[in-house]
Amino acid sequence: MELWKLPAWKIAEEVRRGNLSASQVVESHIRRMESLEPSLNAMITPMPEEARRRALAVDEALSKGTDLPLAGVPVAVKDLLCTEGIRTTCGSRVLGEWKSPYTASAVRYLEENGAIVIGKTNMDEFAMGSSTEQSAFGATSNPWDLSRVPGGSSGGSAAAVAAGYAPIALGSDTGGSIRQPAALCGVYGLKPTYGLVSRWGLIAYASSLDQVGPFSRDLVDLALVLEVISAYDPLDSTCVPGSRPRYRDALKAHDLKGQRIGFLKGYQDFDMDDEVKEKLAFALRICQEGGAEMMEVSLPVSTGYGLPCYYIVAPAEASSNLARYDGVQYGLSEEGKSILELYLKTRGKGFGNEVKRRILVGTYVLSSGYYDAYYLVAQKVRRLIADEFARAFSAVDALIMPASPTVAFKKGEKLDDPIQMYMSDLFTLPVNLAGLPAVSMNVGYSKAGLPVGVQVVAPKWGEMEILKVASVLTDAVGSPKVAMGGEG
Amino acid sequence: MPLSFTPVIGLEIHVQLATVSKLFCSCSTDYIGQKPNTNVCPVCLGLPGTLPVLNGRAVEFATKTALALNCRVRNRTRFHRKNYFYPDLPKAYQISQYDLPLAVGGYVELTEADGSKRRIGIQRLHLEEDTGKLVHIASDGRLSGALYSLVDYNRAGIPLMEIVSAPDITSPAQAKEYVARLRQLVRYLGVSDGDMESGSLRVDANISVKVSDGRWGKKSEIKNMNSLRAIERALEYEIERQSSMLARGEEVEQETRHWDDAAGVTRSSRSKEEAHDYRYFPEPDLLPLVLEEGFLEEIAESMPELPWEVFKRFEEVYGIEPEDAALLSERRDVAAYFEACVKAGASPDKAANWIKTELFRVMNECKCSADDFPVRPEALTELLRKVEQGDLSATAAKDVFGLMAGQGLRLDEAIKAAGVSVGKVSGGALKDIIDEVLRENAEVIEDIKSGRDKKGKKVKFLQGLVMRRTKGQADPQEVSELLDESLNN
Repeated sequence: MELWKLPAWKIAEEVRRGNLSASQVVESHIRRMESLEPSLNAMITPMPEEARRRALAVDEALSKGTDLPLAGVPVAVKDLLCTEGIRTTCGSRVLGEWKSPYTASAVRYLEENGAIVIGKTNMDEFAMGSSTEQSAFGATSNPWDLSRVPGGSSGGSAAAVAAGYAPIALGSDTGGSIRQPAALCGVYGLKPTYGLVSRWGLIAYASSLDQVGPFSRDLVDLALVLEVISAYDPLDSTCVPGSRPRYRDALKAHDLKGQRIGFLKGYQDFDMDDEVKEKLAFALRICQEGGAEMMEVSLPVSTGYGLPCYYIVAPAEASSNLARYDGVQYGLSEEGKSILELYLKTRGKGFGNEVKRRILVGTYVLSSGYYDAYYLVAQKVRRLIADEFARAFSAVDALIMPASPTVAFKKGEKLDDPIQMYMSDLFTLPVNLAGLPAVSMNVGYSKAGLPVGVQVVAPKWGEMEILKVASVLTDAVGSPKVAMGGEG
Repeated sequence: MPLSFTPVIGLEIHVQLATVSKLFCSCSTDYIGQKPNTNVCPVCLGLPGTLPVLNGRAVEFATKTALALNCRVRNRTRFHRKNYFYPDLPKAYQISQYDLPLAVGGYVELTEADGSKRRIGIQRLHLEEDTGKLVHIASDGRLSGALYSLVDYNRAGIPLMEIVSAPDITSPAQAKEYVARLRQLVRYLGVSDGDMESGSLRVDANISVKVSDGRWGKKSEIKNMNSLRAIERALEYEIERQSSMLARGEEVEQETRHWDDAAGVTRSSRSKEEAHDYRYFPEPDLLPLVLEEGFLEEIAESMPELPWEVFKRFEEVYGIEPEDAALLSERRDVAAYFEACVKAGASPDKAANWIKTELFRVMNECKCSADDFPVRPEALTELLRKVEQGDLSATAAKDVFGLMAGQGLRLDEAIKAAGVSVGKVSGGALKDIIDEVLRENAEVIEDIKSGRDKKGKKVKFLQGLVMRRTKGQADPQEVSELLDESLNN
């Protein structure tokens, strides 16, 4: 049996029963990772040795009777989540070999439950991008077609799960950075309600939008990981106190009777791949056949102004969040004859073009004289978008929307056209602006064999709702296949 | 007609709050004298991935101060990021408050030299985090021509309360008085040690000068004034500088100037005041600060009697002269000490006199607080009673007090140790001393006998000499009687 094909819950079950050791499981995944990594480049820092050591420790803890719900489960972690003693790069040169003296809460929660980090995954620099091409560590390839991108910015995590490096991974979603690559790599990806998962140890891109979330090839795994990482954390003031539901309970749903499912009015007219439209229609039919009442929903502000709104709010926060990379305390530091020269050289050399572009935009929109015209207006639009979703959710329980307007595109195709690249996130950005939960999942494959996804969006704290819909869709389309020689 | 010049002064005061931990992390606020970069953690170092958590105690302290300053405290405020690059600022932004400060619109009432009252408006009071410190090192160890700089982040994240006055201050003396009142207040409230030298209380002044012909010069921002005296001197210098420029028809440049205390001048910091654009925006890592129901009431209830209230009460209830009432109410510990004496039965006048002379003298020497002063108010009251009853002369009492304070002796022990007791020198021994004094002061006797001592001052003078020679061990009554006897012979 190829252990790397197993879902996380199954691994944990077997390891806890003593049928498998954590070391065996980890070894299988490391071999898988090492065999495919030359063609995928999904990892910035693979951690085989650390993972093996951890596996021994997990086996040891189990033998002493410690209960570990995720015992032996390998997890790939996006390289903007801090891991004590292992470098965290954010896909950038600017952090150099910097190692944090702490571990991100979401990662720590997984480790405390017996999961084993097998490496840090590739990403667009500071999570700014939709293709994982804009990494200082080279582009990641889509495991379904190596000439194509895996999406981004959490493309490394999505590719790692799709290719079987690990059954689960963590990513972060600021404007679609979990959901879009999940769709392009044919796996599940969940962006939680803003405030559900602690951001402690998540290196910030846009603090008011960033959320940590899971990837998986199995829906139970997705719910299970969410249960673990969503524990309240007093270290993050925006993390909402209180207990979380047992998300796996949502998966008991096998029909949608009494549910009202919304879809975008006139979605056929949006600029999208035909195959994406077809699969979206297919998903809507499944819901209808599952007993849901289908309703047209109109979101003109979100779809019309979400993108410009996002590209003011996110760069504004980014310009401030990334100002600390100045070469004074840690990371890359270039010599200069003056402090200004040190700043200019360090930041000039340390950041890539897309990051520089967003820092410039963000600095501009916050500048006096422009603040009112840009940042303040964007804040108002953001409010309107949240209101628009709230109105929509007074009529429907969940919305089904495209996760990406296209299937995985060719490497280099959009690299010189930022606006085209930004359009990849047209349907995901508004969800972040409104702070809503959404799950992105595979609903089939294009004729060329590329995965096609949709996203299910719910009101705040509606994780149970989106998992319920995802469960019904999964019943119809089956769990995602493992890419590159995996039969699933 | 000659021109006249009116200064317009506003003060920005940064007060370090005496909380146990920093504003957004659990590091200690006790950073002075610590080895550089040891009083730090990932949060106050601004390491990637870290997040701030607001110290509720700092909010309490700031709210308490705001209420004492008659400010309106907002129930819902926000923190903003103030963005700028500087090596002592670990995140390259300072978490501060901007358009929604914790409190607005208060005032402090000052008493002018002529006794009239004057209100200085408080525009705003807000919370923010302190920065680290830069140390510039040159090859010769000197600051100028520094080759490199070192950064110490021990102070980064210390909670500061910024109090901004309205431009209501019209003289250096007033500015000094305003700062003295605020310093007194924060000490009374126990929210800060208010120490200017160590930087717990930092004052920046905005000052401009209005001319009687309608011109109004641009303002200068004066920094580096590290004492009350420095504030007064710097502002006096600056008024003179700006007024004479305006008198010559020159323009005053808007700039930041540093007070050089040794040279007694302000100097332009020379960095052309580029219009700093701090790109303030709401701090997304912190939720809006919403004060809980009942919080303000709770703070108001815990408010101690304010210094100006104590002052008024001392004046009105105990009939203390304003000058003494000010001295006694300057510090909360001293005021409490005084009241304890009165409560123990001391006359307010006598207690006041003794405290402002003897107690202050010893307290200055030992740098101790009245709260833990070795001579407790009850013991001092007992001592005063002995003086009043004539058991001890004033001079002897001072020696006794000195022993009680210095060696921690009880009253009776101290009297014994001082070897003083009233009436110890009397009769023949006293007579001998009196004769000696009279022999040495023939002219005085002459004056008295020829009737030139109309007010009895010269007799008093002689009595004083006798008392001093007996080291206060004679009974003043007996001295008086024996002296009269001798003079009338």
